[in-house]
Amino acid sequence: MANANPRRISRRRLVKSGLALGGAQIFGPFVMRARAADAVKIGLDNPLTGTYAALGKNELVGCQMALEAINAKGGVLGRPVELIVEESTSGDAGVAVQKARKLIDGDKVNFLLGNVNSALSLAMAQVSNEKGVLHIVPGGHTDAVTGASCHWNVFRVCNTTQMEANAVASALVKEYGKRWYYITPDYAFGHTLEAGLIKAATALGGTRVGGDLTPVGTVDFSSYLIKAQAANPDVILFLLGGDDMLNALKQAVQFGLDKKVHLAGAQQEMEPLEGLSPEARIGTWVMEWYWNQPGVPHVAEFVEATKKRTGRVPTARTWFGYVSTWTCALAAAKAKSLKAVDMARALQDFHLPPEIALGPNPAFYRAGQNQLLASLFVGEAQAKGSAPDDLFKVTKVVDGAQVAGPLEESGCKMTWPT
Amino acid sequence: MTQVVLFNVFNGLIVGAFYALMALGLSLILNLSGVINFAHGGFLALGAYLAYTLIPYIGFWGALILAPPLTAVLGLVVERLLIRPLYGQDPLYGLLLTFGLAYIFEDVTRFIWGAQSVPFQVPAWLMTSLSSQLFFITGYRVFMVIIVTVAVGGLFAVLKYTRLGMRIRAGTRDLDTVSTLGVNVRVLRSLNFGIGIYMAGLAGVLAAGLLGLSPTIGANLIMPSFVAIIVGGLGSLLGTLIGGLLIGVASGLAAVYFPSATEAVIYVMMGLVLLVRPRGLLGEEGRMH
Repeated sequence: MANANPRRISRRRLVKSGLALGGAQIFGPFVMRARAADAVKIGLDNPLTGTYAALGKNELVGCQMALEAINAKGGVLGRPVELIVEESTSGDAGVAVQKARKLIDGDKVNFLLGNVNSALSLAMAQVSNEKGVLHIVPGGHTDAVTGASCHWNVFRVCNTTQMEANAVASALVKEYGKRWYYITPDYAFGHTLEAGLIKAATALGGTRVGGDLTPVGTVDFSSYLIKAQAANPDVILFLLGGDDMLNALKQAVQFGLDKKVHLAGAQQEMEPLEGLSPEARIGTWVMEWYWNQPGVPHVAEFVEATKKRTGRVPTARTWFGYVSTWTCALAAAKAKSLKAVDMARALQDFHLPPEIALGPNPAFYRAGQNQLLASLFVGEAQAKGSAPDDLFKVTKVVDGAQVAGPLEESGCKMTWPT
Repeated sequence: MTQVVLFNVFNGLIVGAFYALMALGLSLILNLSGVINFAHGGFLALGAYLAYTLIPYIGFWGALILAPPLTAVLGLVVERLLIRPLYGQDPLYGLLLTFGLAYIFEDVTRFIWGAQSVPFQVPAWLMTSLSSQLFFITGYRVFMVIIVTVAVGGLFAVLKYTRLGMRIRAGTRDLDTVSTLGVNVRVLRSLNFGIGIYMAGLAGVLAAGLLGLSPTIGANLIMPSFVAIIVGGLGSLLGTLIGGLLIGVASGLAAVYFPSATEAVIYVMMGLVLLVRPRGLLGEEGRMH
């Protein structure tokens, strides 16, 4: 039956529109700020929409808090500092690179910050290295950033995935068993984290009984959980990030898997824990920074300041943003210059002052790798803690320097510009 | 292995039922008004967040009953103010409008309720598995399938047996004739839009209970629904239903054999259907142009 009505949507049009929708999701909105003359510029190229929106926004809060503190103390080399924010999207390296070029070539930023997504961090690092701009990666974890793909100008605040794996592996083998099943997101971060855990577990006599690579943004994890259960492991490891972690844990608890198998992972964050109902806050994890650190100087002030600003406690992401922005100011101050090479040299083995390190162990950028080694917090997610925001029970604080492994193993061969 | 496959087929049907619920609302609007409602996911998220806001006052059940019609009312307002002027124009306008709306909805939910996920509580007795063997069949999922069945059955009954339903069906075939016969097409389109958005709101509440709630919930679920429509065949609600179930099963099976392709497989299915049977499984021949 032919249809002559011209207002009708044809199938062909629907398919085209679907493709357009998929394509257009790449181009998110962007944010720009008014800028002062002769200010020192920090460009943040980080996700504000998509899977990593919550993480990216908390890093932004940290950056803004540091920015205000730096400007209140007279800025960088006597000049005011401004932050230019660009939306990188949560997963499109093309957009992130284009925004990085815009920040460097168009805005002439002195520092580049970003990205939450490991793959985007690596892509941005290529650009920043080509342009010779000091680049701080606040929270992209894949080993390569300060490993095989390291650059003289790229520094990283969050841990390598291998450090997280090393920190949690011994606790898991000792307490819960050696047969592990992996649910791993299918991109750089997941791959290296799984490889790191396998390496750490093998050293302790553990085996991998199975695993699945799940696409980023998976909504329904039930089919993976069915497989995991069938493999009958001692521990199911959830190596997911953001909303993926939330969905997976929620479904695992609905299926009662937590009563049969121990659920764990390497990296856990406040953001997904806050989105979980109390009964789903379970498992053994590593936090890279935690707000409840009784007795550690300056932490309480930082928590209060963040609460005043956002109404919530700071998360590791807030801290990443805070440290990254402060690192820019400290590097310039120590080098007495805004030349990237001078600042990068000044940051070799540079120790953060305690009011920025905000942890029990020393925090410093290891020379020859540009990786920050600080404290890792191993423990259990909890339904109820000392305060409504106390969602994690720290059982052991691990010194980053103890789990980083020797420098040679990082795979980083750094070449400096002549 | 056979057991894992069987489990995943079964589980795929449960998930597919959910995709079908979303796709049916989308399909309804598309068939009658020719609007590809990209904002459908936005309405879904809105329905879920409305329920989340209502739960402390009226409980889960109250929210389940109240949030979808509230979403539908919002849908009616949007239809009246923004979409109605575009009827009869090139469908591209409606598409661009709803596309923009989708972004606005997502950011509005982010602005009001925060970028972070929020916990969405459903009654505890629904959250347990019914059997330790078939552990993936939780009370909530059974409940979800029942609701979807009731909603889909209700929708088909309305379309088949009521005057409104008859007019919607007739309008889907030939709106001009229906209009000539004295039916108020504006009201018909509004009501039809409202029903479609009601389905989105309902899907939102159900999804939030299963997955937790974040502003991207709608964006994550909308693409499978589009695929369900294309696979099932444009113009056929039954086709949409079958399309939803099929892609659910397909992605479940992909998880067994090739886990990283669970998302890709639904697009591969779409491609295959378009190549082999371009009008979709039950699509009308007439929509092939």
